[in-house]
Amino acid sequence: MVSSISLAIDSDLDKVSLIARAVRALCQDLMEAEDLDAVELSLVEAINNVIKHGYQGKSGKDVQVAVGLQSDRVVIDVIDHAPPMAPQVLEQNSDSLFAFDEADLSSIPEGGMGLALIRMNMDEVEYLSSDTENRLRMVKRIASPTS
Amino acid sequence: MLSTDLRNNVLVVRVAEKRIDAGKAPAFKDEMARCIDAGQSQIVLDLSSVEFMDSSGLGALVSCLKRLGPRGSLAVAGAGGAVGRLFALTRMDRVFALHPDVETAVERLSV
Repeated sequence: MVSSISLAIDSDLDKVSLIARAVRALCQDLMEAEDLDAVELSLVEAINNVIKHGYQGKSGKDVQVAVGLQSDRVVIDVIDHAPPMAPQVLEQNSDSLFAFDEADLSSIPEGGMGLALIRMNMDEVEYLSSDTENRLRMVKRIASPTS
Repeated sequence: MLSTDLRNNVLVVRVAEKRIDAGKAPAFKDEMARCIDAGQSQIVLDLSSVEFMDSSGLGALVSCLKRLGPRGSLAVAGAGGAVGRLFALTRMDRVFALHPDVETAVERLSV
């Protein structure tokens, strides 16, 4: 089984849940609740990053999501036409982000958690940037392939 | 978005949304800030209706905790499923006292 679908929203944070709910529904029969949660959170974080940082919060820009459903994996591409992410952002060590001292309020992060969460929740994460588009590819393997 | 109820000097704040995401986090943060600035220092946040929270929602909770400062307490009740898992993944379960329900949380805060 290989099928794919493309979805798109305007770069508006209030619209992210539309795509999140649609993609969760697409994956519903393929995964257990915990993996569905992981995919939904990763997708939302990826789109939020595009809108907040790539498009700097401006609406009226396009965010596309391509979902490929395969027998052993779900491949989700988030595609945008904003300036690309800096390589050092992608290379940041996410372990240190959550190694804060809970007794020291000021050390607890309020933001910058998106990419770390994507890495923790997905099996593969790849960022491809060309002259025409940026594409964050996230892969979630299906625990027990059905066919 | 929020409804409040005072029990044993503990303010119980119920989130009446299924999602606290980047779109809703700013309004959530503002409404919580009003509760804190009104002088409430013992707060239980009831997340039992919330099915999804992203890092913006979680960041808003951390911001409330910082606004409350060391003099206050912000406990969380009813964080299940994806929301509970987000607290564990980000190690925020060490920052917020998580309780299964509002009654338990209020009991702990009012002693």
